[in-house]
Formats: sequence, structure tokens, C-alpha cells
Amino acid sequence: MRAFLRVLWEVIREIADENAYQRHLRAHGRSHSGEEWRRFCDRRFARKYARAKCC
Amino acid sequence: MNSHLSRGPPTCQQEYWQRAEVAIGSDLHDSIIGPKKYRMCSPKACGGAFDAPHLDCRQTDPLPNSLLATILWMKKTLGHLAWAAISIGAAFFLAGIAVNRGEPVNSMWLVLAAVCTYLVGFRFYAKFIAVKVMALNDKRATPAERLRDGWDFEPTNKWIVFGHHFAAIAGPGPLVGPTLAAQFGYLPGALWIVIGCVLGGAVQDFVILFCSMRRDGKSLGQMAREEIGRVGGFTALLTVLFIMIILLAVVALVVVNALKGSPWGTFTIAATMPIALFMGIYLRYLRPGKVLECSVIGFVLVIASIFGGQMVADSATLAPWFTLSATGLAIATMIYGFVASVLPVWLFLAPRDYLSTFIKLGVVLMLGVGIILAHPPLALPALTRFTDGTGPIFAGKVFPFAFITIACGAISGFHSLISSGTTPKMIAREWTAWPVGYGAMLLEGFVAIMALIAACSLQPGVFFAVNSPAGVVGTTPAAATATISSWGFPVSASQMDSLAADVGEKSLYYRTGGAPSLALGMAHIFAKSGGGRAILGFWYHFAIMFEALFILTIIAAGTRVGRFMLQDLLGHAFPPLRRPNWMPGVLATSAVIIAAWGYFLYQGVRDPLGGINSLWPLFGIANQLLAAIALCVATTIFVKMHRSRYMWISGTPLVWLVVVCFTAGWEKIFSDQPRLGFLADAARLQNALDAGKVAAAKIAETRTQIFNDRLDAVVCGIFLALVLLILVDSVRIWYGILNGSRDARVEEAPFVISQLQPEEL
Repeated sequence: MRAFLRVLWEVIREIADENAYQRHLRAHGRSHSGEEWRRFCDRRFARKYARAKCC
Repeated sequence: MNSHLSRGPPTCQQEYWQRAEVAIGSDLHDSIIGPKKYRMCSPKACGGAFDAPHLDCRQTDPLPNSLLATILWMKKTLGHLAWAAISIGAAFFLAGIAVNRGEPVNSMWLVLAAVCTYLVGFRFYAKFIAVKVMALNDKRATPAERLRDGWDFEPTNKWIVFGHHFAAIAGPGPLVGPTLAAQFGYLPGALWIVIGCVLGGAVQDFVILFCSMRRDGKSLGQMAREEIGRVGGFTALLTVLFIMIILLAVVALVVVNALKGSPWGTFTIAATMPIALFMGIYLRYLRPGKVLECSVIGFVLVIASIFGGQMVADSATLAPWFTLSATGLAIATMIYGFVASVLPVWLFLAPRDYLSTFIKLGVVLMLGVGIILAHPPLALPALTRFTDGTGPIFAGKVFPFAFITIACGAISGFHSLISSGTTPKMIAREWTAWPVGYGAMLLEGFVAIMALIAACSLQPGVFFAVNSPAGVVGTTPAAATATISSWGFPVSASQMDSLAADVGEKSLYYRTGGAPSLALGMAHIFAKSGGGRAILGFWYHFAIMFEALFILTIIAAGTRVGRFMLQDLLGHAFPPLRRPNWMPGVLATSAVIIAAWGYFLYQGVRDPLGGINSLWPLFGIANQLLAAIALCVATTIFVKMHRSRYMWISGTPLVWLVVVCFTAGWEKIFSDQPRLGFLADAARLQNALDAGKVAAAKIAETRTQIFNDRLDAVVCGIFLALVLLILVDSVRIWYGILNGSRDARVEEAPFVISQLQPEEL
């Protein structure tokens, strides 16, 4: 049950892009800040919303 | 596992493994011993004797051979018995819903038929494809590992990819399509959702995901260009653009018809816009990175707006402000689409998207639980009289129209764009494509079954009164209820008035599009599971809010993507258009896309037959034709992989879709029945004009209708022509390869052995 809830939580964080942000920080050796979040969002959203959403 | 045995000094562990392998073969770990009984031991903990995680024999004594063999025999036998029971269950429940006539069927029959069939399809058919055709190999590094960049390419836990993929493919289609197709009864839709999903939709998603994964995560268009040719690539791009325009028009029409004359619903949806703006600012400047926290606040505000909507509807001063006609709502939706597509994404679209995705997943879960708790009987019969093509919601016989009305939920071309989008860039192991590609589509099929149950649990008379246009059933409640009752589905005006009052609406007649009847069905199921009729109004508007919220998000995102595609296409002629931030270009191309889908929306709103009659079949044909393109690409790749003996796997759904779409397209263009054929309706109106039978005030409107009918016929013809082009191109390639005159060169990325460690996931 605990494992299921952990996976569920991770799925929710993935959909919310929070995991992607953590990966971004790790991959680029940076720490969290408002400026860093905005930089991450600008790049991520530019790609994410260049694709069609499913019907 | 064999690598453990062949390396390192002999130990009791190795001896154990060798004995176990002799007794039961190399699948020991997966088939007999679970991690609960035997802990995994890391290489480090074992002093480096083994180079990969392995069973820690110190946790238990090796079992004697005879006992191991007995365990294996029991496990295999029990497994066979369980799968035999599931298979028999699938056949039994499917037969049960297929042969039952006369008495109401409980919805659990549908649920069990779908679950058992999906399990059998997943375990046997999908695994057969994975082993025999794709030869999935976990030792092969995926693009997520090879091209890892911390952005798009990232090896991710399989269940997280599953959740992400399902959230991306689940849209309004599997909810609205089955609701509309319920006019034929529950049986055609249920069988198509169950069988079509297992043999068509899930296969398409799985195969395209596999193809993209083996090609560095390339998109469907790129694969079509590389595997079929430049014509195929260009055709795919053009088809996607056209489909997008029709899709946006039809989903906008669904929202407009759900909100017309409803101050409660309109206020709730209008309130989501300042809520999204607040969320955008909160997330960017107040609490950067706190998406979940922000989404919870947004959800609370949206729920508050539902209660606010009730107060607005009860207020004599405020209610008129939010009581809009269909035309007014259509114009508002176009303005919304334009503004949403040019505003910065972080300010509006992204926070709205987070919110709508979470609400969508939550509602799907709630609906599943609600159906299990309430397990309502299906009030609609298995087959209605409208299988003959005379249905009030849309014209056309059960074949082919049931199969294009339900696209998402059975097979949806749009999914191929998702399967060749983000998902292949996140998959860490090739075998993960099995649950993600095939399994997620089965779950979407189950969502479609739930929507069908919600619609079919309504009283048939109510269902048809909500979904039928005034042009078919009559323009007054008395006429509408009399017409519907004469079809054998009794309903009274007082019954409809009482229902409208229960859900806080003035009227529920002529709400074509499927969303209101689905919301009614869902509200009844939720209310039956807890709360009763007292909160029916809340649940109805909650369901309307949920549908409208994510449809409007699709409109904002789709308009934006359409603009990018147009900028890209026109940029060849006028290069500044390709600059994404060149504001004149952004505004002009957004306006063109809005004008394109807005025109079809306006046409639907003005259509006396409710708009759905002409637009939903166009959308269904377009979506299924995109699936046909995806299956052409998949079949071409199978042939090039020297798997032509298995080309029936993608070829069968391809042939079915081509037959269905071309039959439906032909009928929509050339049928001599005016309600069905675009050209017949144009001719009928033209004859009336020529004979002077049209009132002077209606002449301009009639001319517009004639133009619209001809335009719809041309659009339908273009879809068919584009797909015919790519089909002929594909068949030419298959023929060339099979008779040896063409080189079967695949564009797969080279094999690289995976270095990914389990603890990295």
C-alpha cells in the first residue's frame, strides 16, 4: 500500500512538472530560486505547448 | 540471471540457482520467488562476487528440487486456471450483453466484460506482439538513456510514465463519443469499445510508441517522412492541421451547447479564467515551483465558483449577465481562444492545464468508484430503432457511424501524436512500452465504457430529450416530448421540468453535444453513491465544469499549436512568420486559426439540426483517418523489419478503418438523404430557393447553409483524398519490398547496450 501511494505521489508530481524541475536542478547543478524556476518553465512550456493536446 | 551464475566464485547461492534453473528454467525469479520472500542483495553487499543485484541466499535456505518443482507446477497450473477463468468470464459477459433482450441489464455486466477482455488482450495479444513482432529487449538502451539531457529525455519509473501517458491521452473524446453513440443502444458502442480497443486502438498506441522509441523519439510526421516518403510526411502534417481545426470547432460546440442559457454553468466557467490568471502569477512570482500547492488552491477556488454559480443563477440581477445565447457563447469562446493563445503560457494556459488534468483524473477515478457503488441498471435497450439511420442525434446507420462516433476509447489517431511525443523519451526499458502503450489505452477504453454506462443509465426519454435538436423533435417542450414518446421512449414535459429544477437549470431540452446528458448521468451516479437528490445540482454543475474546463484548455492549447503549424507552413513563403515571438505574425496566424475553427463553430451553432449532426462525424472521420495514417507507418515499419508475416496485426485495424471511414465519408458527401448527405441537403435547400419556397428573411441564411453544406463536403473529400494518397504510397512501398524490387532499410537507431542500473529508476 505504501509503495502504491509513493508511486501515486510521484505520478502526481510528474504531471505537475515538479519532478522535471528537480531533474533540471540536478542535471545542471543548480539550486532552487524564483529565477531558476522561471527559466525552467519558459523552456519546458515552449516545448510542452508546441504539441497538440489529445482529444 | 545467467550472468550471475557464470561469474564469481562458487557459493551456496550459485548452487541454489543452478538447482533452481534445472528444476524450473531461467524464469525462476519472476515466476516463483517474489521479493517479499527473498530479499535482493546488492553487488556491494555481497563483496563484489556478483556484478548485478541478485537474490540474497542468506535470507533463506535453498529449497529441495522436488519442492521447487512442485511450487512451479502449482504456480503454473493456478496461473493457467486463473487465465482460463478470466477468458471464460470475458466470453460469458460479452455474450451476456450481446444476447440479452427485453430486460434491463446491470452496468456491472459491461464493466466485467470490459475488464476481463482487456486483461486477456493485455496478457496474451499484446505480449504476443511484444515478443514476436517487436522483439522488445530490456538490454537495449532506450532514447531516454542514450540521449538523456535532463529535459525531455529522462529514464523514468514505468508507473510514472504510465500515469503521465494516460493523463496525456485522456481527453473529452472517450466521454462524449460513447454518449452520442448511445442513440443506437448500449450494445454497438460497448462491443466497439471493448473489441476495437484490444485489436485496434491499443495496438496502434503500442506499435507507434515502439516505433518512436526505436527511432530516438521521433514524431509521427518524421517517421512518415522517413519510412514512407516526403509525400507521406507532408500529408500527415496537413491532415493533423485539418483535424485540429475540426476538433477545436466540435469540442467548442460541445461547450457552447452545455452552457447556453445556463447562468450557473457560464459563471462557473467564466470564474475559472481569473482563477487561472491568479494561479499563473502565484506560481511564477509568489511561490515559484509549488505547482501542487497552487493546484490545490485553484481546485478550492473552482469548487467555490460552483457554489457562486448557484447564487448567480438565483439572483435576479446577476443571472441575466451570465445567461448567454449559443451565438453569444460561440463568440465568447472565439475571443477566449484568441486571448489564451497569445497570452504567455505561464500566465494562463499552463496553470489551467495543471488544474484541468488533476480534476480530469480525479473525476475519472470518482466515476469508476461511483459506478461500482451504484452499479446502475442500463435503461437504454441493447439496440434502439435508430440503428436504421434515422437517429435524432446524428443521421446514419449503425455501420459505419457507430465506429466513427466513438473514436477515442476504441481507436484514436490523436493518440499516435502522444505516443510519438513525450512518452518515448521517458521510457527507461523497452518492455515498459507494453503497459504504457497498450495498457494506458485499455484504461482509456474503460473510461469510455464508464461514460457509456453514465449515458445509458438515464431514462431513454430523458436522454433523447436532452440530446435531440429542435429541428428534429419540435421547437416546444410539448412537441419534443410527444415526438420522443412516439418513438417508444416515454417522457413528459413535467418530468423534464422537474429534472431541470433538480439540477438548477431552467431547461434541459436541445442540449446537443453529449456533455449535458453525460453530466446528468454522472450526477445521478454520484448522487446515488452519496448525497442523494439534494446535491444533484452541485454534481451536475461539477460535471459540466469538469468537461468545459478541460475542453477549453484543449481549445487554448490547440489554437496555439495550430498557429505554430501555420507559422511553419507559411514561413516558407514569408520567413519572418517563422519567428515565434514576432508579434504581428503571432496575432495574424492566431486570427487565421481562430477564424478557421470559429467558422465551423458558428456554422454548428446556427445549424437547425444542432451542428453535431454534421461536425461530429467529420471529426470522427478525420480522427480515424489519422489512425489509418499511423497504422500505415506501423505496417511499413513491420514490413521493413522483415516481419511481413505479422503485418495483419496493424493491417487488420487499418483495413477496418479504411472501410469504415471511406463508407462514412462517401455517405456524408453523396447520400441522397438530406439529413445525412451534405450535397443532398445543399440540393434540397437550393431547390427550395429556386422554387421561391424560402421566406425573404431566410434567403441569406439559406444561402449560407448551402455554402456550409458544400464546404463540409469538400473538407470531407480532402480528408479522404489525403489518406488515400498516403495509403497508395504505403502499399507501393510494401509491394516493392515484398517482391524484392525495393530495399527494406529501416531507420532504427543502432543497438546500444543499456548501462542503466535499477536503482536509477
